[in-house]
Amino acid sequence: MREDLSAAATLAAISKKLGGKPVLDGLDLAVGAGEVTALLGPNGAGKTTAVGLITGRLLPNAGEARLFGLDPRRPAARGRMGVMLQAAGLPDVLTVAELVGLHAGYYRDPRPLHETLALAGIADLGRRRCGALSGGQARRVQYALAICGRPDLLVLDEPTAAMDRDATRALWATVRDAADRGAAVLLTTHDLHEADALADRVVVLDRGRIVADGGPAAIRSLAGGSVVRCRTELPLGRLLMLPGVRRAEREGADTRIATGDAVATVRALLAVDGALADLRVADAALEDAMATLLADGRRAAA
Amino acid sequence: MSAYAQPAGLWRRECLVELKRSWRLPQFMVPTVVTPAAFYALFTLALARTPSLSGAAASLACYGVFAAIGPSLFGFGAGVAMEREQGLIELKRVSPMPTGAYLAGKLAAAVAATAAAVALIYALGVIAGVRLSAGQWLALAALHLLSTVPFALLGFGLGMRMGGKGAVAAANALFLGASVVGGLWAPSAILPGWMRLVGELVPSYHLGQLALGIVGADTIGSPVAHVAAIVAMTALAGWWAWSGWRRSAA
Repeated sequence: MREDLSAAATLAAISKKLGGKPVLDGLDLAVGAGEVTALLGPNGAGKTTAVGLITGRLLPNAGEARLFGLDPRRPAARGRMGVMLQAAGLPDVLTVAELVGLHAGYYRDPRPLHETLALAGIADLGRRRCGALSGGQARRVQYALAICGRPDLLVLDEPTAAMDRDATRALWATVRDAADRGAAVLLTTHDLHEADALADRVVVLDRGRIVADGGPAAIRSLAGGSVVRCRTELPLGRLLMLPGVRRAEREGADTRIATGDAVATVRALLAVDGALADLRVADAALEDAMATLLADGRRAAA
Repeated sequence: MSAYAQPAGLWRRECLVELKRSWRLPQFMVPTVVTPAAFYALFTLALARTPSLSGAAASLACYGVFAAIGPSLFGFGAGVAMEREQGLIELKRVSPMPTGAYLAGKLAAAVAATAAAVALIYALGVIAGVRLSAGQWLALAALHLLSTVPFALLGFGLGMRMGGKGAVAAANALFLGASVVGGLWAPSAILPGWMRLVGELVPSYHLGQLALGIVGADTIGSPVAHVAAIVAMTALAGWWAWSGWRRSAA
């Protein structure tokens, strides 16, 4: 496989088993500088395992993980990476400033403490002991730990879990800002809105395999960009033959049609069903796109 | 392969923060500091039927080693296991922090607790009339503080392999076991044969014999052999600790 030298982190033909069960299966992934890559998928898709391999916490059974072209366990590689883990605790008896200060000291050119705290939205919490933080505050401290070393690669595993809406928005803004300044960002999430709001590139992972890879808009259109609702007596099989239609199902008295080309679908619908009523067209929710993608991926794999 | 230049002062900061942490967890520090001194006062100063000053000096030498085992095994074994369960180490492991700095921080805390514990014992000994030369005090203090190293490494290896509760149990068993078979509570000369045999295999026995030698009490074996045994066991414990740290990355 061709080596992507510009990538901050690469996984090449990675297979990984945990407890005897395959979690990742021939995964290829490159995280590029200056963009936010979202690793999106349901629980158990292998997102956190992929993060474990990139950060060197886990070693692959097959394939190779590279961090800035080096073994991810090398301090020289880790010195350019900031990480926010999903299941990391904080030492209760240390203050936020002590903890962030200590961690920043592991890096060669750390950000000044007040700047780190301000970016993470915890400027007023420096003297608070970690044991006295709320769940959302603790997540922001973990974000501060990730950015304190001015990393070229920011790895965020489910960063906004347990954050309220304002904190989430604030975090999105600083992550976006980091990418705009040239950092590579790898973010795992099962929240489609987060991927949509933040990512330049969405990699959809299911059962250890990539089922889609593209910009958020492309991912949406891949799976059917719009949803047409109407009342129609036409059989579902007939609807599936109309232009653009990817899925069709009954929802009570309504029929719900996912389509990649709403205009063509609606034009054909009106032509074939004179009794058509209650016609509505909407953008497909990302959940619809995901459901379609996962179903297609599983069908292809079967 | 170019070495990654470590930021200046990293090790010192790690030690300072670790000391601060232990200081703020008195429920953990106080028992490990006070227990050895309390045992010393009770068993050798108060309960000895015919208190002899040479006996008090000999047990001071041994209880000092005993005092070093507690903070090392509990701070490292139990402490590290619990930190691992709470996910406190995970982030450090993926940071550029050198493994040694983490060990050094924990060791600094164990040495500080040991220093406090042996200082208490020395004070009790002096009150009871134990008199040693300045050279003897210094040698004894150095030996007692160094006694933390093999047990700290042993505890660290345990902590990286076991869960919090298991590690506490293992640390307790080792703490008492190593003290008894090491001849720290009752002289090795009066222990049953099999206990003395097991004692040969733990650093506490060899450290105890060296400590007895410093205060001029009766010892078994040559000091050189004891030092060699301690060095070998420390190296083994170091490998055990290192492989434990590496092991969870698999």
